[in-house]
Amino acid sequence: MDRNLKARLEARLGGYLRGPIYQRHDETEIRIEPGSIPDVLRILHDVVDLRFEILADIAGVDTGEVMQVVYHLWSPMTTDWLRIVADGISRDDPRAPSATFLWIGAEWLEREAYDMYGIIFEGNRDLRRIFMPPDYTSFPLRKDFLLPDDAARSPGAGVRHVERTHVPADLADDPAAGIRRAPAS
Amino acid sequence: MPTRQRAPRPSTGRARTTKPGPQPQRQPSTDDPRIMLDRQVGALYEPIPPYPTRTEREGEFYTLGDGEMFLNVGPHHPATHGVLRLVLKLSGEQVVDVDPVLGYLHRGVEKICENSDYYHVIDQVDPLEYVSSLFQEWPAVLSFEKLMDVQVPRRAEYIRVLSGELLRVSSHILYLGFYALDLGGLTPILYSFIERDEIVEMLAALTGARMLFNYFRIGGVNGDLNHEFMSRLGDWMTRAAKEAESQATLLNENEIFVRRTRGVGILDRATALRYGVTGGNLRASGVPFDVRRAHPYSVYPELDFNIPTRDEGDSLARYLIRIDEIRESIKIIDQCLHNMPDGPVMASLPRLIRPRPGRAWGAVEGPRGMLGVYAISDGSDQPFRFRIHDPSFLNLETMPALLPGSLLADTMTIIASLDPVMGGIDK
Repeated sequence: MDRNLKARLEARLGGYLRGPIYQRHDETEIRIEPGSIPDVLRILHDVVDLRFEILADIAGVDTGEVMQVVYHLWSPMTTDWLRIVADGISRDDPRAPSATFLWIGAEWLEREAYDMYGIIFEGNRDLRRIFMPPDYTSFPLRKDFLLPDDAARSPGAGVRHVERTHVPADLADDPAAGIRRAPAS
Repeated sequence: MPTRQRAPRPSTGRARTTKPGPQPQRQPSTDDPRIMLDRQVGALYEPIPPYPTRTEREGEFYTLGDGEMFLNVGPHHPATHGVLRLVLKLSGEQVVDVDPVLGYLHRGVEKICENSDYYHVIDQVDPLEYVSSLFQEWPAVLSFEKLMDVQVPRRAEYIRVLSGELLRVSSHILYLGFYALDLGGLTPILYSFIERDEIVEMLAALTGARMLFNYFRIGGVNGDLNHEFMSRLGDWMTRAAKEAESQATLLNENEIFVRRTRGVGILDRATALRYGVTGGNLRASGVPFDVRRAHPYSVYPELDFNIPTRDEGDSLARYLIRIDEIRESIKIIDQCLHNMPDGPVMASLPRLIRPRPGRAWGAVEGPRGMLGVYAISDGSDQPFRFRIHDPSFLNLETMPALLPGSLLADTMTIIASLDPVMGGIDK
């Protein structure tokens, strides 16, 4: 835990922070609005006593109520990993600004988050599916995307999952559960 | 809207004859599965996607300029290290642009992990980095240990470092062999596999498996060091350094190899950082970023080793970095054997793990770069979110920056020098 980093972040990013800075083990976590992602990343990358120059990861998260985009950054100026949680992205129309203006490598990471969660990164030049086929219509890592053979959560914990897969192939979609079995025509 | 021209289909080896005049249209029977399969496969490997372009970059790529053509490489190609498909845009023999197409090996491991309990996650992530799968287990257990505030016994940490560094040597040696193989040299791969088999058999004695080890546990490792492992390791250590040197000599002093790699695919420091490249590929561009030193985990702060860097950033530098790292790893293994403490190899943990709600990021330095896991716990026995970050993914992303301007034959050099493992990229 780098207490000094906390003070520096509060001084530099005071206006952008939503909620307190959270520190645990070797991680420092800040929460921001999705709209302020470009400003915050720019400050973290450019300011001399922060210098977060290595983008470790971009992850999409679906909490069930909102979407998040989570960045992990590394800097030589601190012993902590920095985690930036851009919180409160609407699940119905998830949009967030792209980080490609700073790290071009974010392009594929954002493509993956789009592929898995449907988060649209504005400013990404190449936002198309990366793992799933191009005609795929769903977003598999969303929490309302249930696996048909979700054995671990079934009452029998893997014993009775075979029964659950015996559904007619042409079963209609179930929008209430967010299940879409046939591709949209 | 840019005009799109259709490229000629790659030759199938048959001469195509066009008959003048109307031809009788033969309707393929939809009952014949072979014909339908043939059509589907044909559409799958069409270089130009059969739908309108969706993004700016895609529109730019799939518009052919004067004298340009598309060439489809893969997904099944011996030099693409798995099922990677590249659509190359060529002008003569020169590569103009490249569009890597991923996903042929996508298994949805993150979703599977979110639906299995904490112990099962470890064997689900094993097949991702199948060349060095301990390094894929490591960030997973690291993040879970952070979630649960588990103190790992020191002996377990030393065993992790020992087995990890052995696997790093094995992975790098395999890299050297496959690199040469992709450039047309058959000999080094044979010697690589001799070395690798010794290490893999050694680890099999320790873990019980040759490739997918499933050895690390939350709070320690699965089993203590045993006699067979130690005797094999001692035997290997007496000549490991010498063997590695003689292996390296096979290629270092090979003029064809050096001339085909020097100055090819130069990745400069600034571009490497902007692309988020990690591992040997980043250090070959002059950035001394190694998670073992940049953000120490396990017992690495106690060990004495160097982080080799090079400034050239070309394919040869990426190869030479691996050679240097083999030497450093052998140094670490030696120290582990000398400093190995006594004690338990597992912390005591409940049979069913339910960490308190929280978030944790664990990152380790694998042979290809930084592997990370971002785990969120909601208090249940399954991770709420399990994000896997693989270094090969971002290393491969540099291809549109590295390939343009190089010759078609150098494509293989550059892919091999980046050392991608498709299992990790496609998750």
